[in-house]
Amino acid sequence: MTQKAALVIGGGIAGMQASIDLANMGIKVYLVEKKPSIGGRMAQLDKTFPTNDCAMCILAPKMIECANHENVELLTYSELAELTGSAGDFTARIIRKARFIDEERCVGCGECIEGCPITVTDEFNAGLGKRKAVYKYFPQAVPSTFAIDRRGTAPCKAACPAHISVQGYVALVAQGRFQEALKLIKEENPLPAICGRVCHHPCESVCTRGQVDEPVAIDFIKRFVADLDLNSETRYLPQIKEEKEEKIAVVGGGPAGLSCAYYLARDGYPVTIFEKLPITGGMLSVGIPEYRLPKETINAEIQVIRDMGVEIRTGVNMGTDITIAQLRDQGYRAFFLAIGAHECKRLHIEGEDLEGVYPGVDFLREVNLGKEVALGDRIAVIGGGNVAMDTVRTARRLGAAAPFIVYRRSLEEMPANEEEIEECREEGIPIYPLTHPTRIIGENNRVKAVECLRMRLGEPDESGRRRPIPIEGSQFVMEVDGVIPAIGQESDWSCLGPECACTLSGWGTMNVDPLTLQTDDPDIFAGGDAVTGPKTVIEAIEAGKQAAVSIDRFIRGVDLREGRAKTWEPVKNIPTAGHVPVSRTPMPRLAPEIRVNSFREVQLGFSEEQAVAEAGRCISCGICSECYTCAQACKAQAVDFDQKDREITVNVGAVVLATGFDLYNVAPLMEYGWGRIKNVLTAMQFERMICASGPTTGHLKRPSDGKEPRRLGFIQCVGSRDVRHMKYCSAVCCMHATKEAILAREHCPELTSTIFYMDMRAVGKGFQEYVRRAKGQYQVEYIRARPGKVTVNEENQNPVIHYEDTVNREFRAREFDMVILSQALIPTESNISIAEKLGVALDEFGFFAIPEELANPFGTSREGVFGCGFCQSPMDVPDSVIRASAAASKAAEVLA
Amino acid sequence: MSVRIGVFVCHCGTNIGGTVHVPEVVAYAATLPDVVHAEGNLYTCSEDGLSSIRNQIKEHRLNRVVVASCTPRTHEPLFKKNCELAGLNKYLFEFVNLREHCAWVHMNQQEDATEKAKDLVRMGVAKASLLTPEEDLSTEVLPSSLVIGGGISGLSAALTLAHQGYHVELLEKSDRLGGLLKDVNRVFPTNTPTADLITPLIDSALQHPNIAVHFKAELVEIKGFIGNFTASVKVNNETLDLNTGTIIVAIGAVEFKPDGMFEYGRFANVMTQLDFEKRYPSGCTGLKRVVMVNCVGARIDDTPYCGRFCCITAMKNATLLKEADPEAEVTVLHRDIMAFGKVFEAYYQKALRMGVRFIRYSADRPPEIIGSRGRAGSVRIYHELMGRDLELDADAVILTTPLVPAGDNEALSRMMKIPIGNEGFFMEAHQKLRPVEFPADGIYIAGCARFPAEIAECIAQGYAAAAKAAAPMSRGRVVTEALVSEVNPLLCSGCGRCLGICPFGAIDWTELRVGPERTRQVAAVNPTECKGCGLCAASCLSGAIQIKGFTDEEILAMVNAAAG
Repeated sequence: MTQKAALVIGGGIAGMQASIDLANMGIKVYLVEKKPSIGGRMAQLDKTFPTNDCAMCILAPKMIECANHENVELLTYSELAELTGSAGDFTARIIRKARFIDEERCVGCGECIEGCPITVTDEFNAGLGKRKAVYKYFPQAVPSTFAIDRRGTAPCKAACPAHISVQGYVALVAQGRFQEALKLIKEENPLPAICGRVCHHPCESVCTRGQVDEPVAIDFIKRFVADLDLNSETRYLPQIKEEKEEKIAVVGGGPAGLSCAYYLARDGYPVTIFEKLPITGGMLSVGIPEYRLPKETINAEIQVIRDMGVEIRTGVNMGTDITIAQLRDQGYRAFFLAIGAHECKRLHIEGEDLEGVYPGVDFLREVNLGKEVALGDRIAVIGGGNVAMDTVRTARRLGAAAPFIVYRRSLEEMPANEEEIEECREEGIPIYPLTHPTRIIGENNRVKAVECLRMRLGEPDESGRRRPIPIEGSQFVMEVDGVIPAIGQESDWSCLGPECACTLSGWGTMNVDPLTLQTDDPDIFAGGDAVTGPKTVIEAIEAGKQAAVSIDRFIRGVDLREGRAKTWEPVKNIPTAGHVPVSRTPMPRLAPEIRVNSFREVQLGFSEEQAVAEAGRCISCGICSECYTCAQACKAQAVDFDQKDREITVNVGAVVLATGFDLYNVAPLMEYGWGRIKNVLTAMQFERMICASGPTTGHLKRPSDGKEPRRLGFIQCVGSRDVRHMKYCSAVCCMHATKEAILAREHCPELTSTIFYMDMRAVGKGFQEYVRRAKGQYQVEYIRARPGKVTVNEENQNPVIHYEDTVNREFRAREFDMVILSQALIPTESNISIAEKLGVALDEFGFFAIPEELANPFGTSREGVFGCGFCQSPMDVPDSVIRASAAASKAAEVLA
Repeated sequence: MSVRIGVFVCHCGTNIGGTVHVPEVVAYAATLPDVVHAEGNLYTCSEDGLSSIRNQIKEHRLNRVVVASCTPRTHEPLFKKNCELAGLNKYLFEFVNLREHCAWVHMNQQEDATEKAKDLVRMGVAKASLLTPEEDLSTEVLPSSLVIGGGISGLSAALTLAHQGYHVELLEKSDRLGGLLKDVNRVFPTNTPTADLITPLIDSALQHPNIAVHFKAELVEIKGFIGNFTASVKVNNETLDLNTGTIIVAIGAVEFKPDGMFEYGRFANVMTQLDFEKRYPSGCTGLKRVVMVNCVGARIDDTPYCGRFCCITAMKNATLLKEADPEAEVTVLHRDIMAFGKVFEAYYQKALRMGVRFIRYSADRPPEIIGSRGRAGSVRIYHELMGRDLELDADAVILTTPLVPAGDNEALSRMMKIPIGNEGFFMEAHQKLRPVEFPADGIYIAGCARFPAEIAECIAQGYAAAAKAAAPMSRGRVVTEALVSEVNPLLCSGCGRCLGICPFGAIDWTELRVGPERTRQVAAVNPTECKGCGLCAASCLSGAIQIKGFTDEEILAMVNAAAG
């Protein structure tokens, strides 16, 4: 059956005209346009030759007619995926790309752009101007719907265990919008000042800037923003949602517990944290030394959580002082167990119980709780993680003259943060890699020495790190005054009573559903080190946050799992070209000779200038930074970050191709200096400059100094009629340059233009007259010559055109204020994929081939598929419009 | 029934609301005469705003709606349709533009902008109270088309319309179809015989049941307007009346004969390109040395335009000469090589490769034909690059001349009230965007009658004109807005100014009875042809013409409201 519908691909003037004509013939039209708006290239033009009609003034009514037509369904920001069937009965699959703005809701008011921190090159202005990541393609766009330019989730956000909108807050910081940055961070992480100091920042490891020079110092930026807030008169408190009655108990006041409490409190729940130790913060307070993470900082961030109404009871031993059963009786509706892993793992070697052997975390806890620990000078710290580093550096500060690290693998395998290793080195602390303690040797029940084996590396083990293998007979003995093993920790589950139905794994960690963190006892949830074994602060924070989501859902009786399984695919193939290397801003640090003798914070933090400058190094991998400023600004609630590409299927009887043209990249034509000489522009750039809605609001300004030019030089056939580039004539440039020369003179009455051309192809109706007017009325000079090169006068940045005067047969050089290159117009790149999907042939240049040039000038190699306009062959607007109507007639024949 | 106006003022986010103090304007609107309801909307065009308008129409029994928001260009159809949804005649809607006309242009003058917004709303309300309900106009359209001219353009138009199921009356003034191409041997860029292209088209047209071909047809008169034209056609001393819904003008053009130029008419071996094709239909000429002179009668003061494809014609015959005899010396003297686009540039390169010599001449120093005893022997030309004169021997000199308007254009223009441009070709409705339409509805243009066009372009224009003609025919009727002009015959003095001024030919004479035996001629507007542009009303010295929706009374009410 013949479908009384047609598919038009391309929403420029030809595609619109074909659509309108078909629609007027009573045929349903699906108009597919890849850009966010219809209008095509003509929308970029200021005026049109030879009538000098304002392009937009004649185009806008067409766009509106097209969009408002009852028979036209506009599918902007869409692409053809596949065409099956045959003439009269095709089936087209069309991808509607997510624009992240609901077309139905958006009213085009533009409130969203104000706050967007991302500026990108505006392709509509031919690269002369900038636009925001949320944008309307051009002011008169149809539909007037905005779109968010979103390449995908930035690698930093995808890599962050808490999925903080890293690019977002970095972008906000770059603009000095520190409080907005903090709010954005706190959406995902309530402890940024802490994380800003101790996070292992996987975000930085994947930072694309690292491919240019070095990763952005994301963590330090975060710390700056967080410190600024903590030091301000009023700290940021999130808006508390409606208050709820259900009480929640959090066991453990470490990062997981605090995070869970924060988000539950934000949801309006009354939360109580029960902490075994006399101080809050868990490992943050007792595992990390003061010089890395000052108590003051921890307390300040915890105070914010208290200020939100969270009650914290310290020194409460769950299981003995109070039990979960008792809390249930008191009306607690859900529990989050975040007890951490505070018990040091044993080395299981001889001599471990000798005097002078201190388990690592016990040692740190004692020191952090202010207890005196007597050490000797030579202290062997065993292990390669952050606890080992903290331990050895703490030992140094407590007066041990020569503490050192013993680690069984090589430096590359060390799990500790690189900075810590580096700071360790700065403090003169030796690290002995590939060294494995086999026995602690005592004398009088006191440590005297450690016996070690040398190791070598074998194949990688299940952790991905290369397995250490002992070297036979390599035993040696190191004299020491003390040994601190720091090889890992485990949890103490004495808090659980018989009333708890939850179960433990063989590793001594709690069994939970990895998505919801629910244990086998439905009202008990668990997370952090208690579930994962010793891991990082940020992972604990994420666990707390996820537990809060689960607990809220549990209380409200909604499905715990729905919509939560999310994979974070980072955006790939990010272009890094064009970014000039700028080194990473180093963190100011306390001098090593001062810090080894004190517990003062080593890292001093960024200044405002440093933070802003460092944030400016971000290359905006995702384009949109996912800062959500637009979503907050949109009163129509049209912003939808969860929007996905959609696919629709339509049945049509005929297809009309009208994909228009692209602009040839003139950069490879080095002789003409575009991209190198500032005052050399392309014709499209000049068109945008001269257009009142363009980047200079229609004022002619030299890119080098903003001055109004007095002499313009146009070079024709740049890339056209050239065997090295495009062999064909682009058909419109002679008139286009003539028009621009006329308009330029209208803008600046003293300006003169010179057009260097090969043949002045003024072949259309009124074109000769137009050229005559240009010569007579507008003082446009035409010189028949093909310039050989353009150089620059370095003094005034004036471009100089070198050419041969064919009348006098002399080589000449003429200086201009600005030079405009009439670049070749080429088939759009998308023709290749469209041709593939449609099964139609392209010609040698990439235009849609016309098998019967004369008998059927609108045909393609596939029956029922027609072409019109520039996508078949270079032509001007009237010719494109005629071909479009003709193609519509052809399509109508198929559908008749 | 008393007038009950509702006023809806849009914030347009901050576009209006950020400059104009909308609540103040709303409060002010509520105080205006006949206004029974006024409200502000964040976005009047959103579904919230639209449903609010509909609800208020019902709740307050509104019989006029004023929306003060953005531009009617984009949003008037939306609001009119919305009124209709609520049962209100769409002509009882009035638009006030507070965005483009106020907020955007007074961005830094909030107080003044608010005052101006009040003025604009007051004017809109004043006009709204005088609005009257109207009905759209509808005319039936016959599913048939009159195609004038049986050349390649007319044939193309006729055939596609016939294929689409419409009836076609095809008028050809000669006794053969094919037009100018009948005299052309081969066609570029394929260099295939013209017959290969044109014969199948002629045969299809002659055999197609939907096409009635009238040979030796002379158009005498055309009456009527879109939907129902009547053409009086004389065929063999018999007059036919053909009724069609649409008309396509495809009467073509003729080759310029350069009498008196370059010894044309004086030397037997100086000929035009078409002369050459007629004289040597086989293409094998035996000519050894041929010089072609381009731009003869083109791009000069008398005929300033470029013939568009003359260069390509010259290349065609030059390459054919070279194909027939590779040793032949063929030189083309030209001013610019107009090989625009993809196909022609390649064709030019091919001619160069085949050894056709191209020499540029300047209009200041045209070539000189030298000969004796009625024959040209050589051509003298100043070679710009060499900086000296050359003398080229010539067995034949071929002058490349452009197409010029056919002699029938003037008569047809008068008969159908369709315009002619400076160059004598028909003038389309808009050079860029309406290239195959006339200002008047239902009449379209294709081919060289519009401007010289090569074959593919003629075919395209035939098809394009057919697309335009098919639109009203497919619907079977045209519906136009009721906002057209009206003549009050009692006030009309019969001066006829409006007839001459109307660009659409929508005004004609009619008889007005002024006594039992007496009539007088007055102007009458055909509402179907009228576009409501208002030129007639503005030019009428008697004040006899009013435009619905913009009557003097309505406009003066706005003026008074503004001044008050």
